[in-house]
Amino acid sequence: MAYRWDFAAVLDHLDMLVVGLIGTIKIALVSIVLGVIVGFVVALMRMSHRRVLHVPATAFVEFYRNTPPIVHFFWFFYALPILIGLSLDPFAAAVLALSTQSGAFYAEVFRGGIVSIERGQWEGAKALGMPYRTVLRRVVLPQALRRMVAPFIDRSFELTKTTALASSLAYAELLYEAMQVNSITFRPMEVYTTIAVMYFIVLFSVSVLMRLVEHRLARVG
Amino acid sequence: MEYTWDFRIVLDSLPVLLRGLVVTVELWLLALVMGFALGLAISFARVSGRSWLNAPAIGYVEVFRNTPVLVQLIWFYYAFPIVLGQQLTPFVAAVLALTLNTSAYCAEIFRGGIVSIARGQWEGAKALGMTRARTMRRIVLPQVLKRMLPAFTNRAIELAKVTSLASLLAVNEVMYQGRLLSSTYYRPLEILSVVALFYFLLIYPGSYLSARLERRLAARD
Repeated sequence: MAYRWDFAAVLDHLDMLVVGLIGTIKIALVSIVLGVIVGFVVALMRMSHRRVLHVPATAFVEFYRNTPPIVHFFWFFYALPILIGLSLDPFAAAVLALSTQSGAFYAEVFRGGIVSIERGQWEGAKALGMPYRTVLRRVVLPQALRRMVAPFIDRSFELTKTTALASSLAYAELLYEAMQVNSITFRPMEVYTTIAVMYFIVLFSVSVLMRLVEHRLARVG
Repeated sequence: MEYTWDFRIVLDSLPVLLRGLVVTVELWLLALVMGFALGLAISFARVSGRSWLNAPAIGYVEVFRNTPVLVQLIWFYYAFPIVLGQQLTPFVAAVLALTLNTSAYCAEIFRGGIVSIARGQWEGAKALGMTRARTMRRIVLPQVLKRMLPAFTNRAIELAKVTSLASLLAVNEVMYQGRLLSSTYYRPLEILSVVALFYFLLIYPGSYLSARLERRLAARD
């Protein structure tokens, strides 16, 4: 059976898909920035020796690592407003879901990088009279950051793919716009193929970049 | 704002949620087993040394890794009827799409494992008169399976989370039931929280075991 491809109808609505692509990039960038902040705080809490900080941070990370993102999206959109008594728009709910979830993963990236620095360096810096925060800022982080780059890009890559779930909350990102174009044109194969190619181009460029950076770092390090 | 939690609805609809959970597990296991087998086959193409086998296999893996799973699910949902010439149930379509997605990731894990086996082992087996196929089956693969066990468990955990996306194709798994129930009774907070808990209980044992396993393997090296 031969299927007759017809991209003409879809290409007429390319402007909608471009709007969607911009929406995807916007939500990804906002969530990456917020996720990094959440992740940094959670990582510091996890590495703290105080139980009041350590236990909730660990629970936070484990919860997000062991539950599917779609549940977080729906929870933030439908359930949280009941709890806090004010409703969130799809963008806010999706950003909250994405940035807390990626925060949990970024926390592990930060923690992994920091604990990979040998204990001796902490002790050496302490012996020189540096307080904890100075050691972290001047000795540990500069080295740890370089080791975090690859897993950080990896996580951001995963996050960008996860933004597609925001379509289920009717946030106008690429997949949602595709659904709209599909309901106008009735050409699902062409519409979804087109956006698959768009996602592929964006994500593949990122992953090529990622490999380049990894190579560079491996050579320098 | 004071919110009174009411879990009676959840208790009443527990049978429905449990039935959903069974469907989730079915999706998960079917896609896992088939994806694992298909991934092995694709990894053979990757390490075959023949470019007419290797090139399409690379393309296959890259396409699945560089597009969002949700887009893949929707794409295949529309594509299968065209390719196969008959309508599939959402469940079958989801199983097939998840299988293809998992196979791409499993192929990379298998490939990584196979190339990590020292060349000398291949040569030794050849010197003993073993064919390539037999060397693969009796010498290489048993070591690959052991060495890559943490990676495979991670994949299984990711897949368990990804099955939740089938709810968007109206597969009646646990997330779908949860959404349906929460819009019927208007108790999204309780129901979605319980759905999240279900996923956590389903996935956490696996990720706990894999973390322990990883630590033990790391300690042995």
